[in-house]
Order: sequence, then C-alpha cells, then structure tokens
Amino acid sequence: MNLDKLKKHFPWITLVVLAIFVGLLDPNFLRPENLLQLAGDISTLFIMALGITFVIYIGGIDLSAQSVANMTTVLATLLLPLMGGFAALACIAIGAVFGLVSGFVSTRLKVPSFIATLAVGGVALSVGQYASGQKALYMDAAMREQAFGWMTGNIAGLPREMLIAAVLLVIGLVIERRMVVGRVLKAIGAGELAASASGLNVDRYKMIAFSMSGACAAIAGLLFAVKLSGGSPVIANGFLLPAIVAVLVGGTPLTGGVGGVLNTAIGALIVAVVRTSMLYLDVPATAQQIFFGLVLIVAIALTIDRSKVRTVK
Amino acid sequence: MFELRKVEKNFPNVRALKGIDFRIERGEIIGLVGENGAGKSTLMKIIYGAYQHDGGEVLIDGKAVRFENPRQAMQKGIGMVFQEQSLIGNLSVMENIFLGFEQQFVRFGVVNWKKMAAAARFQLAKVKLKIDPKTITSKLSFAQRQLVELAKVLTLEERVDGDLVILLDEPTSVLAKEEVELLFRLVRELRSRASFIFVSHRLDEVLELADRIYVMKDGEVVDHVVSTEAVAENIQRRMVGRDIDKEYYREEKQRPYLPEKVLVELDKVSLPGKYYDISLKLHAGEVLTLVGVEGSGREAILRSIFGLQRPLFGTISIKGDRVRSFNARNSVARGVGYIPRERKVEGIVSGMSVYENITLSQLRNYSSAGFLKIPKEKATAREWISKLHIKAPSEYADCGHLSGGNQQKVVLSKWRSGGSDIILLDHPTRGLDIGAKEDVYDMVRAMNADGAGIILIADTLEEAIGLSHTIAVIKDGKIQKQFDCKQGARPSLFDLVHYMI
Repeated sequence: MNLDKLKKHFPWITLVVLAIFVGLLDPNFLRPENLLQLAGDISTLFIMALGITFVIYIGGIDLSAQSVANMTTVLATLLLPLMGGFAALACIAIGAVFGLVSGFVSTRLKVPSFIATLAVGGVALSVGQYASGQKALYMDAAMREQAFGWMTGNIAGLPREMLIAAVLLVIGLVIERRMVVGRVLKAIGAGELAASASGLNVDRYKMIAFSMSGACAAIAGLLFAVKLSGGSPVIANGFLLPAIVAVLVGGTPLTGGVGGVLNTAIGALIVAVVRTSMLYLDVPATAQQIFFGLVLIVAIALTIDRSKVRTVK
Repeated sequence: MFELRKVEKNFPNVRALKGIDFRIERGEIIGLVGENGAGKSTLMKIIYGAYQHDGGEVLIDGKAVRFENPRQAMQKGIGMVFQEQSLIGNLSVMENIFLGFEQQFVRFGVVNWKKMAAAARFQLAKVKLKIDPKTITSKLSFAQRQLVELAKVLTLEERVDGDLVILLDEPTSVLAKEEVELLFRLVRELRSRASFIFVSHRLDEVLELADRIYVMKDGEVVDHVVSTEAVAENIQRRMVGRDIDKEYYREEKQRPYLPEKVLVELDKVSLPGKYYDISLKLHAGEVLTLVGVEGSGREAILRSIFGLQRPLFGTISIKGDRVRSFNARNSVARGVGYIPRERKVEGIVSGMSVYENITLSQLRNYSSAGFLKIPKEKATAREWISKLHIKAPSEYADCGHLSGGNQQKVVLSKWRSGGSDIILLDHPTRGLDIGAKEDVYDMVRAMNADGAGIILIADTLEEAIGLSHTIAVIKDGKIQKQFDCKQGARPSLFDLVHYMI
C-alpha cells in the first residue's frame, strides 16, 4: 500500500489512536456515556465546520463563520419575543445572506475569499455589537422552552444537539454526493478552469457554497443562544480556529477538490478528543488556542496541494 | 567556438532532441528554423542553460561545459533575449538591465543610483536607444522593450571574458516592418561584439539576416545551408518533411459536407489587436481548419466562437441565431463543445472519475430537481468507454491517471454524449503518440458522419491538409486565403506556407 492511498485513511486512524491514547490516561474516557457527551459538546463546532467545509472544498476559506454565529446569538434573542419559533428560520436566512454577500464579493468583485469573508465577518460582528448594545441579552425562559425547547436535553439517552448535527451531516452528505451542487463544487475545487470550460456557471455555485457556510454558522449561533439562554457578540469567540482545524485535519485541504463533510465530522471528533486530552494533561483552557494554531499550521503544510498554488503571498 | 556534439534530450515518452550537431563561430549569425514541435525551443533551452542535455556534449572553445541553470550559462557569455519578454513592468529600465547584478553599484548596503544610471546609459547606447534609464519599463513601446532586453544581455560583455552568444527567440513576431529593419541593422553592427542565434517562423527574415541556417524537424537537424546558396522552397520542403500518408488521416472516410446547413457563421468579425474582418462559415459535416503561425490570431477566433472573448465588431451566429451574450455557458447550451489545447487544465478535471467528467457539461440531463441520476451517468460512461475504446479500468477511474490519448477521448465523449454538434478542436493531437492520433482522426470522421461540424487548429500542416474540407490561412489576424480541400485536389504544404509567412 503506498503513501498516497494511506493518506486518505489518516484522519480516522488519527482519531482512533488519539482516543486510545486518552483512554490509557483515564479508562473512564472510553465509557459510552462519556463519548456521547463528548460528541454532544462538539456538535455546535461541527456544524460551523460543516459549513466552512463547502467553502474550503472549492478552494476558498470562510473566516466570517464565528462572527456570523456571534451575531446570530444576539439576533435570535432579540427576535424570539417577536417571531417565536420563526426566529430560527429568520436567523438562518440572515446567515445565508451574509454568506451570499461574501460569495458575491469574492466572485464578482474578484476579492480573495479570505479578505472578503474577513470583511463581511467584521460587518456581522458589528451588527451583533450594535444590536445588543454591547450587553449580554437573556431569553425569556418560558418563550425559549416553547420555541426552542426541542433543541436541548436528551432523547433516548442521546444528546439532541448531536442528533441535529447528525441530521445536518446527512443533508450535507446528500448535497455533496447526490446533488448537482455537490458535483459542481467538487469540479470547481479540483479544476475550476475545466469546470467553466464545460459551460458551468462557476460563480453561481461558488456563491451557493458561501451561503451554505453562512447558514451553518447561523445554525451554530442559534444552538449557542438556546443552550446559554441568551445572546452576546462574544459567545462564539475562539471557535473559528478549531472549526477550520476540524476541516483540515479531517482531510479537506485548503486547495479543495478532495475530502468533504464526512471528513469534517471525523475532524471535529479529533478536535473534541484533543480538547479532552488537554484536560487530562492539565493544559489550561486559555492555552488551548496555542495548540490549535500550531496544529493548523502543520495540517495545512501537510495537506495543501502545491501543484495548485504557484506562488504563496 | 560554441559547439554542440550529438546532443540528446529525452522527456518521458518523447525523444525531443536526437543527436544534434550545431556550431557557431565568432561574429556569426545563425538562423534556426523548423515547425512547431520540431525541437527548436528545447535546443535553445539547452544552449542557455534552462535544460540540461542528457547525451552528447556542449563545448566552448573545445572544452566541455555543463550549465545547471541560465545564470551559469550567462557566466560563460550565453544570453537569451526572450520572446515573451522577461522585463518586469513596474521597475525602471536600469533596474531591469541590472536585475540580479545590482551588487556592483552597492556601497554599505545602499544603491548608488547615479552610477547605475550611467552604466545603463552605456548599455543602451550599444543598442542605440535614447531613453532615460530611469523610465518605468511598462511605459516603453514593445520594440523599445525588446531593445532593452538586448541591452540587458549585452551587459555580459563587460561581465565575462571570452565570446558572447546571444539567442534571439522570435524577436520580430510582434514588431512592425521598420522596427524589424532597425533591429536587423543593429544585430549586424553588433556582430563585432557577439555571435547571434536567430529563431524565427519567417523564413524570408532568416534568409536575409543569417549567415548559415539550421533546419530542424522532429528533433533532428535535417538540413544545414549557407544563406547565400539557400533556396527558400527547399528549406520549406525540409521543414515540413515527408509526404502525407493518405490512410493516416482517414481521407477515404471523408464525405462532402452539407452546404445548405450552416452551423456557425462569422460575418466581418473583428477584435482589434487579435483578428480583423473575419468571415467564415462552418457547415454540417465539415472540417474547417484555421492555419497560421503561433500568434496569428487563430486561437483568439476559436475562443470568440466558444464565447470566451467578445469580438468588438461584426456578428457571430450559431445555427442561425446571432450570439449576443458571450460566455461559455451560452455556447455550450447551443451545442458548441471546446477541446482545449491545455487538456489537463481546461479539458479534464483530474481528481474526478471518468463518468463525472463525461457528464460535467450536461448535468441537467443527468439530474432531476437537483438530484443526480448516478446510475444513468455511469451507463453513459460505460457506453462511451467501449465506443471510443477508452483505456480505463472502469468508469470510476480518476481521469488524472489516464494517458493523454485517453484523456482526450474522455473530453470528446463529454461533448459528443451531450449531443454537441459544433466541435472546436484546439491542437487535439498535441503530445499524443501515433496510435492515439489515429484514434482522434477516426473520431473526427465519425463526428462528421453524424452531422457535426468541426473547427480545427491543427498541430501540423500535414494534419490540417489531411483532415480538412476547408482551410483558412490566417496571418496577422486576417484571412489571407481560403482553400477548398476536395479529395484528390488538396493544396500542398507550399501553397499554405506561402500565405502563412
């Protein structure tokens, strides 16, 4: 078996090895209820990463996800008294629009996606700050229970958050593997010039990828708001880096074209296990980003397809 | 003083140079001619150090040398004036002239600009260019930039001991007539300083300027003549070589086209700078070939028909409808398929399977409500794999791993399975071996038989003559002559070459 074929299996092997390693540190870690708890806790991060996957899949990057999620926590809290359960739909739509704007800026105005999404993220952050008046907002408990109660707690012993993430994963898989959108996004990631020479509307599909990312970021924000029963423009801070790490260590390289949402699910679990292991190794929470930053650099350096990047700036 | 003996160069699957013998004396001007793909560029690259030879020897004054890179070649006095100009637009002329060799003007880490300007003026005087060396290069005309390149190479004179050899790669292709004369006068005067190797498509120019001429074909020097004794016709014959094998191009399968069924019509179409006043008609069952040298405008015409480049004047009609919005999507929807020269970049998506590639241009036919009908896709792929004898393990095989000929077949399947009946072929046989080429010729005939029209830019003139119903010869963006190629009454190579150059 050569290295290229092995490379495809790296992510889940890494996951298993890490899980065993942490299991050796503390056998309790491998108990089913603990593992379920772990999966539930990582769900929000996974949903954000799921969206980002589509953008990275086409060779772009979405740096706005965290800000969109932050903004959504605020908007969800503000809209709940006005719209009830429909606030959720409104939030997702707003997230998708922010993604669409990023897509428009990057395809039509030809601004590289990292700067386009950074700018749009700045706008989202500021909307959140302005709408919240720089304060933490709280949801009315009864209203929250009525509109969003179904999102929290357990069902048949499984965390509901995890089930939501699983449903989104399945939808993502269907889009990626069974729908025209997924096929075109793969073609764009693997060979954009050939895709447009085949007569595909590349710009439109790119915008779809960005808006899916925006929508997923909004769903992640919504779950935060419900879980914490309120909103604030800083709740999701610290999620962007691990979300991107989840995509990359899962096996979708920055250059796009390979990998996909299932890879990101594995990547998110790797992030979860790494986080837990840091608890066992007494790494303080504030120092975790140091580690994720380093992992990110290593993951990019190992996975990027250099034949697609002529010069690095 | 500079000599190549039995020099060989091999690339994977291609023997690019086969035992080249080449010699240049002090103050000589050597002409190097040959068709595209004859091995001229490879030979030049070996001379100026971009490639390393893997057989034979390179000698300077009888001593064997080996250049690992162009800089080492420069240190031995060999410089290249690039066709695609190598100057950096946003730097000044003097910075360009001394790019990479600024150290001589630096003291304590600071560049002495005055000294550099003076030195640059001295170099510019050699090529008789009276411009301020502080001028930003992008402000110069094309001809002026060419002279700056030459001045840059001439700095070698002060830097190395021994003789200079300067390579001029197609230096006249973008110059006006007076500018060409100016350049020639200059080159003749500079003989006292250097020897020149002059590569050009234009045989008349080579005959005028060079002392001796080397003629290349298929990686070999097939002729070597002294200019004063040379006959243009003979050189042309050596350049294009052997007689055409009629079987090879499947001429017996050529059928007359349908003159009443016009697929594409160009009416006085112009894109200034690229092509002018082009009027052409493509009929069902026809192969229309655009012939011309590199940069004659034939690629631009093809790109306009595919919708990638909007012409400024005139109208293009596809199947009777005037094209108003120029983009690939529209053309594909009207049945145009494009088989690009850059097969691996614009043709196939490597990393995607055979079936994914074949249906890429027609996903609408293989989906409903946004969901793919993957079994149908695979069935189509299997059908075309067996129809065109594509050598792939299965429809799941990654197209990036197929051979060039099979990749080409996948691209063809993509368009043909979608029912495209206007096929644009841009160098469809480039880089293919003989068997794969024959497969492509077979497919051309089969597509014609199905009523498709083909616009071709051929890899060689033989190919153009062998395949076409009609040939339009293009020079400097204009149609010079249109030939009817009935079976048995085809134009000869010399007829074409005459109008090309």
